[in-house]
Amino acid sequence: MMFRKKMLVSLFAALAVLTVANITQAAQPAGFDDNEIRIGQWGPQTGPAAPWGSVARGSKLLFDIVNEEGGIHGRKIKYFIRDDMYNPAQTVAVVKELVERQGIFAFVGGVGSAPGMAVKDYLAANKIIWVSPSAADKEFTQPLNPYLFAVYPLYKDEASILAKYIVEKLKTKKIGILYQNDAYGKDGLEGAKERLATYKMSLVAEIPVEPTEKDFASQILRLKNSGAEAVLMYVSPTAAVITLKTAASVGFKPQWVSANTLSDYPLMFKITGGLWEGVITGAFGETPDSKSPLMVKYRDAAKRLTPQERWGTFYYAGILFADPIVEALKKVGRNLSTEALLKALNSIKDYQTIGPRITWTPKQHQGTDSVMIQKCGPGASYIMLQDWTTNDLATWKK
Amino acid sequence: MPFGQLLVEGLAIGACYGLFATAVVIIYKTSEVVNFAQGEMAMFSSFVAFHILAVYQYPFWLAFVIAMLFSILLGVLIEFLFLRPAKHPSLLGMIVITLGAEMFLMGLASWKWGAEQKFFSLPLDPSVTYEPVKGMIVTNWAIAVFAVASTIMLLLYVFFKYTRLGVAMRATQQNKHAAKIMGIRTERVFSIAWGFSSLIGAVAGMFFASRATLDPAFMMEPFLRAFAAAVLGGLMSIPGVIIGGGLMGLIENFFGYYWPSWKPIVAFIVIILVLCLRPSGLFAKHYVKKV
Repeated sequence: MMFRKKMLVSLFAALAVLTVANITQAAQPAGFDDNEIRIGQWGPQTGPAAPWGSVARGSKLLFDIVNEEGGIHGRKIKYFIRDDMYNPAQTVAVVKELVERQGIFAFVGGVGSAPGMAVKDYLAANKIIWVSPSAADKEFTQPLNPYLFAVYPLYKDEASILAKYIVEKLKTKKIGILYQNDAYGKDGLEGAKERLATYKMSLVAEIPVEPTEKDFASQILRLKNSGAEAVLMYVSPTAAVITLKTAASVGFKPQWVSANTLSDYPLMFKITGGLWEGVITGAFGETPDSKSPLMVKYRDAAKRLTPQERWGTFYYAGILFADPIVEALKKVGRNLSTEALLKALNSIKDYQTIGPRITWTPKQHQGTDSVMIQKCGPGASYIMLQDWTTNDLATWKK
Repeated sequence: MPFGQLLVEGLAIGACYGLFATAVVIIYKTSEVVNFAQGEMAMFSSFVAFHILAVYQYPFWLAFVIAMLFSILLGVLIEFLFLRPAKHPSLLGMIVITLGAEMFLMGLASWKWGAEQKFFSLPLDPSVTYEPVKGMIVTNWAIAVFAVASTIMLLLYVFFKYTRLGVAMRATQQNKHAAKIMGIRTERVFSIAWGFSSLIGAVAGMFFASRATLDPAFMMEPFLRAFAAAVLGGLMSIPGVIIGGGLMGLIENFFGYYWPSWKPIVAFIVIILVLCLRPSGLFAKHYVKKV
């Protein structure tokens, strides 16, 4: 009996200790100290979306450069990459692990709409700053989320700019669209329609495809029969390959114009067996061979520090997504706090590195509406067609 | 409406579904197991062909032959390593084992070749097309699909009808124990069925890959459609399955032309309707099992 009581007491004692330990653990560790600032990013390093995983590694290059140059006001950046396999449930797990165990001051990038949506509210509730989701979703910034700052131009704005280019520069009157039947594709459709309405024109064909579909014959024939001379594509890389192969086999040769999601020309050229040549796309960054001083600096650093990485658009997207937070941290100075960084981010105005020009205000966290227009040349080369262009129809700016 | 072109495209992709559905049916015919790893077995063999082409740079025909031999081995191995060790498995248990094999193969392919899409093409010049009737373009790809599918069909028909092994396979399906008593080595029959099925699946897989891209998940959708075509055709009858595949391709293309957003589901709606009216499919003789 006595033994039993002792057991019970010690059990309670152990439980009490565990509970207290649990409470102390729940208060998350600070995201920075005198020597380092801890920044995290999730991104698919394995699984079906792994080709986009280079975004997270690109950001690492920038932080390595910053650290090499002595850090920011005496603090080095400690950077954490976590693989979420593009699976929102995994994203939640890895983000919680980083926040609650490592202590993270801010997140940058993070590939994918759905993974981002899964952690958006958790990060805001924990007052953790998140700069540049690597996805164009208007719900990231509308309504305003005080801790979330977006760089990626919205698909709707891009489609509007591309439609304007098709009408005014390519002088094409018959425009069709092939779009993925989800938020991404529908945003593109909406932007194109809005632009064409200003010319009193309408799309000659609006054809949806499901993300997993593998046979597009009837859709392509529909586009062909509509007489479309230019076709906008808001689809996945695999869908774009099927589209181009099918179109070639039924003798349909319009001017293909696509979203920036397909602006990695070497990849697209390779997986289409060269059919990608001549495709026009939007772009959220300069061309890989750009001679701008900052591009030269980053490219040289990449050659030196990460020779194993391909210098592709998604890799250096990771740099341009992370640039603004480095700029803001420099502005803040030695007295770092979440409030101070928020203030610095909210005052970023006309800031541009190798991506679009960004402006954030306390009331507007969608940083830009600009894209470039580029074309795939022979051997997957990049041909610049139009410099940064803003969308004069963007409704969110008003 | 480009009637001729829709007909050609529908029949071509339908033949591809039918070919792949045949692979499903061969296993089902002998063991009544629906093999959910079928798509991934084809994916894996296609990757082997890709690997031989890209890394060793062998000519296509050689890569093709090696990949075919590999696919037979893969089928036999999966049956031997995954299904045979199961002690007195229920049908559902067997199906779950094939699901496990599917996951295993997909993981293995992702690990070996990565998830990035790969370019895969058959040595069929895409720029050469024929226009027998105006507005009806036929590609080399479509001709190859028709030729291969009909050859395989014919061979299988002869095989199941007239060869001893074919008859043994049918006997095994109808009554495993009676077949055993009659001196049929049923285990060997299963191995051969899996090898055969894997081979035909791999041929179909390469046709699918050359139309889209090659990646570890690329056969998931075609498998579902081919399976549906098999159900439509009756799961037992090989000519039925080919007609099921053709119907599937035609329905999808003609319907999808007018209502693109309904394209992915229309064929499944038709299947539900067919199954309501003829539960064992369009072409199967209806066996009622007596307990």
